[in-house]
Parts: sequence; structure tokens; C-alpha cells
Amino acid sequence: MASRIGIFVVFVAVFLSLSSFSSAQDLQIVNAERRIDLSSHIVKAFLTLKVENIGKNPVAEMLLAFPPTQIKHLAMVQALAITGKKKKKTYLPLDVKPTEQADAPNDTGYFSVSFVSPLGPGETVTLEVLYILTHSLEPFPVEITQSESQLVYYRDSAVILSPYHIKQQATIVKTPSTRVESFTSIEPANRAGKEIKYGPYENRAPYSYSPVIIHFENNSPFAVVEELVREIEISHWGSLQITENYKLTHGGARHKGVFSRVDYQSKRSASGASSFNALLAVLPPRVNSVYYRDDIGNISTSHLRTGFRKSELEFEPRYPLFGGWRATFIIGYRVPLEDYLFEAPDGRRYLNFTFGCPLVETIVNKLTVKVVLPEGSKDPSAVLPFTVNQDLQVKYSYLDIVGRTVVVLQKDNVVPTHNVPFQVYYTFKPIYMLAEPLMLVSAFFFVFVASLAYVHIDLNIAKK
Amino acid sequence: MAAKPIASPIPVLMYPTLSVFTLAIGLVITAIFFIYEATSSRKNCSLGKELATATGFGSLFLLLASGVYV
Repeated sequence: MASRIGIFVVFVAVFLSLSSFSSAQDLQIVNAERRIDLSSHIVKAFLTLKVENIGKNPVAEMLLAFPPTQIKHLAMVQALAITGKKKKKTYLPLDVKPTEQADAPNDTGYFSVSFVSPLGPGETVTLEVLYILTHSLEPFPVEITQSESQLVYYRDSAVILSPYHIKQQATIVKTPSTRVESFTSIEPANRAGKEIKYGPYENRAPYSYSPVIIHFENNSPFAVVEELVREIEISHWGSLQITENYKLTHGGARHKGVFSRVDYQSKRSASGASSFNALLAVLPPRVNSVYYRDDIGNISTSHLRTGFRKSELEFEPRYPLFGGWRATFIIGYRVPLEDYLFEAPDGRRYLNFTFGCPLVETIVNKLTVKVVLPEGSKDPSAVLPFTVNQDLQVKYSYLDIVGRTVVVLQKDNVVPTHNVPFQVYYTFKPIYMLAEPLMLVSAFFFVFVASLAYVHIDLNIAKK
Repeated sequence: MAAKPIASPIPVLMYPTLSVFTLAIGLVITAIFFIYEATSSRKNCSLGKELATATGFGSLFLLLASGVYV
């Protein structure tokens, strides 16, 4: 295995020396430090890169490379430019876009980061990159009993994969507990407590890759929502009604054998170490009429704490969730309209709400957000800081004639860092609000006219 | 971007109060209408419009107060 990787690296180096990557020759990474946090099932990696321009032309952007196995599970990539010294550090967010390179070795995926201003020859810049991986911890053993702890594999490379030459680099991996069954050792590598340090490595060629596998214990709750449909209904009479349909699973090692309730309740610390029974949802501050139910009916195991900045709903499904078990439920709540609906300077109205799932530390495989606009709204458009699939539908609800326009936003692989505000713009003439009371008025009017007519109609056949 | 929050045209806190008052007025006028109609035999369209309006708005506020939020 190692010899094959070695041959692959040599082949790539030869191939690279023959072809010419203009960007790879211009930039060089002087120092790279990577910190990977494996404490929960959402893997967070922080890369601090010091990039130097060794070419003759100013360079406006740089590439970040990811192996094909990681590209599929990448939920978010963010980059910040750090300027200033220790006390006066300023962080500027940078634009990160996925790109394709025509001559990518072995299906490597790329993201291009645009600098604040083009980097001149001889200049250096320090960047901090955060990327989040989902579904990257593979449970091994695949099935565990109730009394066993959960052990997982994490596969990555000790050497950071990059299209540029890296002069000096180190990788520090943080595990949730001190129990690490094994880890691939690529000299120099050592482990101290909850940290495994790979490095420092000097002078690695572009696209060098040394795969490592870390086998460790992770009992954090692997809460995965397979499908979440959030419906936000806007009513200009004063409220926003949000209904969320969840399909929750435990994404860790599958449970095998029997479930002993006696063991679970009497020896809670030794039994079902990787299971979870409570979840926390963070809701907006002024929330009212919260309900939590499923197909059977209302679920009463929940606690709501309202506050000034946020409200917290701590709820428990009807049973604790072990590996591979599922739970389906609905959470609904209402918030006042004036917190979220605004009028833009050009006369259009817009809704400002948070995208993403309110559950903490949860991955959503498929998220659908439906914003139901009131009847009579025209020209809907959505503005988001990341890419989603947009669609339009029609929904028929109370007192509707033509139906309500629904803006459907769909995104896969959503993590809690996606809980940022988004806007939906639309135009609405206030006179349309009068349509609803007029409908009710005309209904009652017809009832009375009908009663008048009934009283005065003569249906006798014989003439009096 | 200066943002002006949009709220309901009528204060939300007053929905239950308004619904009680408008429904009461509507029911009173409905009662007058039916008694008037039963005692006399003349067509009276204009009175019908009045009480339809009162009952209509009353039922709207009743719906809103109970949380249906049309």
C-alpha cells in the first residue's frame, strides 16, 4: 500500500515537471498548520496558511485541493485573510468558489480563494481556512451491542494535499477522549493525551499525499436528520408560522442484539454510551405556540425556555436512539411578523430569516425550506450567501382564490454553520389585504339574500 | 440598507377585543333583521348589506383571534 502510494507520488511529480502549472509555480506555501477537531461527528478542520508569491506577476487567487473522497462530504469552506500583528489582528472574509481544473490528478477537487487585493511578487499573506466534513467518521466495528463503546475510523493524509510546494507543515488531530485504538504513524508523529501530532514535515512537493487512518472512540451523539422540510408561512395579519418535519436517525455504529431497558436505566454510564435521548433546538426569541408531535399525537417530553436573545427547546423522542434507529416528528412554532418582515428602500418587502436546521450539532442530509408568500404577492426572489436549488410552487390555504406562491429552496449536506440569515423579496400591494374580509362579508351577504329570497318566493301550484 | 419593519395594520393585541365587539354588533343587527323580516313583508336590501358587513368583519377577527391567521 505504501509502495503504491510512493509510486503514485513519483509519477505525479514527473508528470508535473513535464507540464507547467502557471499558478503552481507562482505561489508557495511557507508555513501550513492544520488542526482537525474530531470531537463530534461533524469534522472541523482549521488550516493556517502563509502563502508567498515567488513568481514575477501578481496573483489574484489561490487553489485549495481536496481528495475525491473528501470533496463529496465537504459541507462548507470558508476563508479569512489575517492582517496585522498579535494584538491588532483583523479578519477579512474571502470569496471561496468550487472550481474545476482540466489536468487534475486522480479526480482532485478544487476550491479557489480570491485574495482581498492581488498578491504582488515577493509578498506574503496569511490565510485561515475552515472546512467542515460530514459523514467522515466511519464506525468500526460496524455493529455494536448496547454495552459497547463506539469506535470510528478517520481517514486523511498526514501531508496536506495542495497544488503548491509546502516548505513546512504540521497537523494536529484532536480526539474526544484519550482512548485511541491505533493510528498510522508517519515519522515524526506522536500522541499526547487527546492530541495526535503529525509533523513537522519539511519541503513536500505539490500533490504529495500520505494516507493515515486513526481508529478512536467517539461517543458523541451522531444525530443525522435524513430529511427536513421547513415551511415558513407569512401572514400579513401579524405572524409567521413555521412548521418543521423531521426524519431523524442515529448515524453511528448500528445496534445489534437486544435492547435491555433494565440495563439502560440502571447502568446508564456503561449501557448505550453512544446513544442519545435528548436533543436541543434553538428557536427565535419571541416564540409562542410551540408544539411537538408526531403521527401518533402530541409528545409531552419537552421543555421550552424562552429568552431575550434565543429560546431553547429541549425535547426527547419517544425512545432513546441507538445506531440505525429512526424517529419522525413535527415541531411547529409562531413568531411575530415585525421581527422578520421588512420594507426595502425600493418598495419591495423582504423576509429576513435564518436558513438551516435549529437542532444543535446535527447534520441534515436533505433540507427543503419553503417560504409561503401571502396571496397577491408578485416577483418573488431569494438571496442567499451560498448556492441552493430554487423552485416555485403554489399552495392553497385558508380563504385562497388564486393560491399562494411558494419559494422552495433545497440544499444537501447542511451543518449548523449554515444557520445564517437569508432574504426573500416580493412585491405586495396593501389593498390586497382587503380581499379576505370582503370574501367573508360577501359570503354572509349571500346567506341573507338567500334567506330573503326564500321567504318571498311562492312555490304554490294552486292559485290562492 | 434602512429597513422598516412591517407589522399588521391593526394591533395584534386587540384582535380578541375587536372580534368580540364586531361579532356582538353583527349578531344584534342580524337579530333585528330577522325580526323585522318576520313581522313585515317588505323587501329591505340596504339593511341586508349593513349587517352582512358587520358579521363579515366580526368573523374575520374571530378567525384571527383564534390563531387561524388567514
